[in-house]
Amino acid sequence: MDFDFPEDIVNARKKAQEFAKKEISSEMAKKYDRDEKFPEELRKKAFEYGIVDYTNPWSMLVTIEELCRADPGLGISATVSLFGAEVIMLFGSDAQKQKYLTKVQNGEKIMGLAVTEPGGGSDVAGIKTKAVEKDGNYVVNGAKMFITNGTIADFFVMLIRTEEVEGKRHHGLSAFIVDSDLPGFSKNKLSGKLGVRATNTAELILDNVPVPKENLIGEPGKGFYYIMTFFNISRAYVAAQAIGIAQGALDKVLEHLNRLTKEGNKALAEEVQFLAADIATRIEASRLITYKAASYLFQFRPNPTLTSMAKAYASETATFAAEKALEITGYSGIMGDLERFFRDSKIMEIWEGTSEIEKLIISRNLLKEYAEVA
Amino acid sequence: MEEQDLLRSAVREFALKSIQDRALKIEHEGIDRGLLQSLASQGFLGARIHEKYGGSGIDLHGYLTIINELATFSPSVAALVMLVNSVQAPLLGDAEPESLKKLASGEATVATSLSDVLEGSWTATTLQKSGTGFKGVVEMSSLHNGEFAMALNREDGHLYLFKNGIKALEEDSGLSFRGLSNGSLEISSGDFTVLSQNGEEALKSIVDSLDLEVAAIALGTAKGALDKAIEYVKVRKTFERPLKDYGPVANGLSRLMAEYLSLSSFLDTVDENDSRAKLTLKILSVDFAKRATKASLQYHGGYGYIEDTGVEKFYRDAMGLSILFQRPHHDSMRLSKEIFGEKSGYL
Ligand SMILES: Cc1cc2nc3c(=O)[nH]c(=O)nc-3n(C[C@H](O)[C@H](O)[C@H](O)COP(=O)(O)OP(=O)(O)OC[C@H]3O[C@@H](n4cnc5c(N)ncnc54)[C@H](O)[C@@H]3O)c2cc1C
Repeated sequence: MDFDFPEDIVNARKKAQEFAKKEISSEMAKKYDRDEKFPEELRKKAFEYGIVDYTNPWSMLVTIEELCRADPGLGISATVSLFGAEVIMLFGSDAQKQKYLTKVQNGEKIMGLAVTEPGGGSDVAGIKTKAVEKDGNYVVNGAKMFITNGTIADFFVMLIRTEEVEGKRHHGLSAFIVDSDLPGFSKNKLSGKLGVRATNTAELILDNVPVPKENLIGEPGKGFYYIMTFFNISRAYVAAQAIGIAQGALDKVLEHLNRLTKEGNKALAEEVQFLAADIATRIEASRLITYKAASYLFQFRPNPTLTSMAKAYASETATFAAEKALEITGYSGIMGDLERFFRDSKIMEIWEGTSEIEKLIISRNLLKEYAEVA
Repeated sequence: MEEQDLLRSAVREFALKSIQDRALKIEHEGIDRGLLQSLASQGFLGARIHEKYGGSGIDLHGYLTIINELATFSPSVAALVMLVNSVQAPLLGDAEPESLKKLASGEATVATSLSDVLEGSWTATTLQKSGTGFKGVVEMSSLHNGEFAMALNREDGHLYLFKNGIKALEEDSGLSFRGLSNGSLEISSGDFTVLSQNGEEALKSIVDSLDLEVAAIALGTAKGALDKAIEYVKVRKTFERPLKDYGPVANGLSRLMAEYLSLSSFLDTVDENDSRAKLTLKILSVDFAKRATKASLQYHGGYGYIEDTGVEKFYRDAMGLSILFQRPHHDSMRLSKEIFGEKSGYL
C-alpha cells in the first residue's frame, strides 16, 4: 500500500495550483458570484493551459480539487463543460464520439447532462419527459430542471422515457444526445442560486423537439442503467469538488490563525485549535475514501458503495468545514471569501445524489453484499 | 400570556399582508420607506422606545414576540427592529430626543456598524478630524444609506452620531440580513453628537445585552424555515410517496419542531434578570437555528438552493446571526463564568 501519488499526478496537482494562482483571484470570484456570470474566458484558458483532460482521470480529480480550493464557483465552471461525456464515451457509437466528443474534449464545445425534472431528481426512474418515434425522429416533450450549463451547452445527454413498462419504472428509459438548437427547445436561466453562482443553471423546455434517431445512445430502454453508471463516475469528481472546498476553507482558517498569533502575539484558544484539527482530519478522511473509490473506478472495477461514501462524506465535510471556518474566523471570515465558500458548499449535499440518496445506496449495497455472503 | 398571543396574531397578520409577498424584494432592495413606516404605525418599529419619543413602550416579552414573529417571514425586518430598539435607541438615549423620534416614526434610519467590536474583525472605521468636524469611511454598516450614522472614532475612543454629510458607497449584500442594506459609507460632517466617551465598551456591552433579541430572531428564523419544509414535504413526492412518509424526513423534522417548541417556551417565560438563562437561551437558539435551517433547505432538494423558494435566506441569516450580533467565544466564556463562578475556559 502506497499513499503517495505517482510523479505525473503530483505534477498535475502542481500545474492546477499554478493555474489557480495565476488566473483565479478573490476579486474575480466575488465579481462572477455577484453578477452570476459564467467565466467563459477562464474555461478556455484552463483548456489552453492543458489542465482539463478527462482522458486522464487522476489528473482531472486533483485538478478539480485544486481549482475548487481556489474558488468553488469558478473551479467548477472551468471543469464542468464535459459534464455527461462519460455516457457517450462508454455507451455511444463511434460516429457519436467523433461528432460530439472530440469538440468538447478540446474545449471548443460545451455539453450538459439533463436528468432532473421539475417533478423530481432523486427518483430518476420517475422522470416524465417522453419521446415517441415519428418520421425517423424521436419527438420529445417535457421539461428538465436545474441543468448545469443549461443555456450555454451545445448539446445535452438527456434521459427520456421511450416506453412505459408496467411495474418496472426504471425500464423504458433511454439516453439521447439532444442538440440545443433544435426547434422547440427553449431554456430559462435560473438565477438567484445560493451559491456556485458562476456556474450556469437552467430549466429546459422541450416542445415537440425532433431528435434524430441516430442520437439515441446505446440501446433503447437502457438509459437508467447508463445514467447510474455515469453517476458512479461523476460522484468521485463531485467528492473532489467537495474536498477542494473544504481544503480552501481550511486554508483560510490557517491564514487567519497565523495572522492572529502574529499580530496579537498570543496563544490560540484551544477550542479554536480543536475545530481546525477536526476540519483537517475530516478532509484527510474524505481524501482517503475518495482516492480509494477513484482507484477502483479508474481501474474499471467500480465500487458504488465506496463512491457513494466518498460523495456523501466529502460533501458533508465541505459544509462542515465552511461552517466551522466561519465560526473560527468570525467577522473577518463573513466579510471575506469564506462566506462564498459557505454558500457554495451546500450544493455538494444536493447535486448528483443528495446525501440521503447516497446513504440509501450505501446501506442497500451493504445489505445486498451481506445477504450474498450469508 | 393571552395578551402575547393577541400580539403575535397581530404581527402575523401584518407580516402576511406586508412582508410575505415582498420578502424576496426586501432581500434584493432592502426595507423600503413604506414598510418602515407601516412598521412604525403598527407600533412595532419603536416597540421598546418610550411613548414620549413616539415609540410604543411595549414590555420586553411583547417586544420579543414581535421580532420573533417578524423573523419567521424576514429575519432582516426583525433585525432592523432589533437594531432600532436595542442598539440605536439605548445609545441615542435622552441625548438625542429629536433623532429618536425620527427613528421611531420611520422617518430616518441610522447607519450602524457593530463591526469594530465583533470577534475576528480588523478595524473597519477610519475617522479623522477635519476642521470642526470629521471625515472618514465606515467599511461595513447596516442601513448604510441612512440619514444618520453611528461611528466609532479610534483616535479619541468616542462613539459619534453624525447627522449630515453621510454618503452611501457601494452596497455589499454580504452573506446575511441582505434586507438591511449593508455597505460602506463615507462621512464628512460637522453636525455630530458624542453618544459615548468610551465607544468601544458601549458597543460591546450593547452587543452582549442582545441575548434575548438574538434568541428570538434565531427561533423565528428557524421556524420560518421549518414551516416551509413541513409544508413542502407534505406535497413533494419521490419514489411515488410523499416525502413526509420517509422516516429521516418526517422524524427529523418532528425532532426539530420539538426542539423549537421547548426553546420557544423557554423564551416565553425567561426571567429578564436571569443572565445565565438568557445567555443559555441565546447559545442554544442560535445553534438550533443553524441546524434547523440547514435541514429545511436540504429537505427542499434543488429547490432549496434557489432564492425563489424562500428557504435559503433563513440558512444564510442563521449563520450570520451567530457572527454579526454576538461575540460567540466571549459568550462561551461568559457562560463558563456563570457555571464555575469565576473566570474559566479562556485558554
Ligand atoms: C445548482 C444545481 C445544479 C444542478 N445540475 C444538474 C444537472 O446538470 N443535471 C441534472 O440532471 N440535475 C442537476 N441538478 C439537480 C440535482 O441533481 C437535484 O436537485 C437532486 O438530485 C435532488 O433532486 P430534487 O431537487 O428533485 O429533490 P427531491 O428528489 O425532490 O428530494 C427532496 C429531498 O428529499 C430527500 N429524499 C428524497 N427521497 C428520499 C427518501 N426516500 N428518503 C429520505 N429522503 C429522501 C432528498 O434527499 C432531498 O433532501 C442540479 C441542481 C442544482 C441545485
